[in-house]
Amino acid sequence: MSKNDENQIERRLKVLSQIEPSPRATERAMQRVRDTLIGERSRQSAGARIWRTVFKSPIAKLAAAAVLLIAVGYATGRLSAPEPLDVEELKASLESSLKSSLEPAIRQDLLEQMDDRWQSAFADGIAQIKEELQRQVRRDLTEFAAQTLAASGSLTNQRLMELIQLIEAARIKDRERIETAFKQIEINQTQLGKSLLAMASRTNELLDIKEN
Amino acid sequence: MRDRQKELLELLDKSGANLYALLTRLTLREDVAEELMQELFIKLSNSRRFDKAGNRQAYARRAVINLAFDWRRSRKRNPLRLEQVREPASNDSSPLSKLVRTEELDEILNAISRLKGACREAFVMRYIQEEPYDYIAEQLGKSTHQVRAMCSKALNHLRNMLGHNRQKSSGKETHNVKK
Repeated sequence: MSKNDENQIERRLKVLSQIEPSPRATERAMQRVRDTLIGERSRQSAGARIWRTVFKSPIAKLAAAAVLLIAVGYATGRLSAPEPLDVEELKASLESSLKSSLEPAIRQDLLEQMDDRWQSAFADGIAQIKEELQRQVRRDLTEFAAQTLAASGSLTNQRLMELIQLIEAARIKDRERIETAFKQIEINQTQLGKSLLAMASRTNELLDIKEN
Repeated sequence: MRDRQKELLELLDKSGANLYALLTRLTLREDVAEELMQELFIKLSNSRRFDKAGNRQAYARRAVINLAFDWRRSRKRNPLRLEQVREPASNDSSPLSKLVRTEELDEILNAISRLKGACREAFVMRYIQEEPYDYIAEQLGKSTHQVRAMCSKALNHLRNMLGHNRQKSSGKETHNVKK
């Protein structure tokens, strides 16, 4: 905001602060409020004033005394006279007697009905629970069997694989032993051949000697 | 009850003229100020808080400020009909300048009405009633320093509000020109 605008605000506030209502208007407003306040006070005290005025006059005093006497006489008459049939009271007593006689029976009936309902509901509930339980057990057993079967199948496969591996190892070992044996036989054959050759040559030599 | 009316009459004699002047400054209308003055005293006569108030004069002034700004707000909601418009309180004679000045004052009073509680009260007392800071502090039950801070803060708010209004209105004009 510019300095100019600030000055404007200050100027406006100054103008506002200098506004003065006319003395006549001020006086009128204050008088109006004063009248209202005094009027309210006079309204409040008016009630008390009326009573004071009434009891100042002797005729009014006599009239008030007569009214009071009549009222007392009426009240005494009402109190001493036999009480008339009070319909409301009769109605109330009838209501209470009916209530006292009917209430236990209604309560008993209500309780029995409630019991019946509870029992039938309970029986239904038990049958339903039993059926549900059976179904659940069956489902669990089937699942368990399937799981066991799957587990045993995999175990069998594992054992078979192990067996195959053992057989294979044994076969390899046998083959090696046979090969060693064949090699030994071959060596023995060679030696035998050599021995036979040596023996043949010796025999030939002996034969030659003999012929000579 | 009678004591309260006596007290109210005393208050009227002592501060009635000041309260009425404040109402006139805040409403810019003598007739409305008169109505609100009446309403103020009726409210005070039925108010239990007024009995308990330590400083009755301050209580009445606060009520005046609230009443006047409530009236301004209600007037915004229910715009005046032509026959309801009375001549505003002003010292200038030309009708045009009167109108312009009233609009200017209305603008600033509407901005003040948007200030909050004690801040607004302090601002009104300082800038519209031109009371000294010490007196305001005593009336509001605060220190002079606090009152100065409140008034300064309120003035800043007012500047911002009026500046914002001006920007808004100038923005509107530009928009219209472009169209």
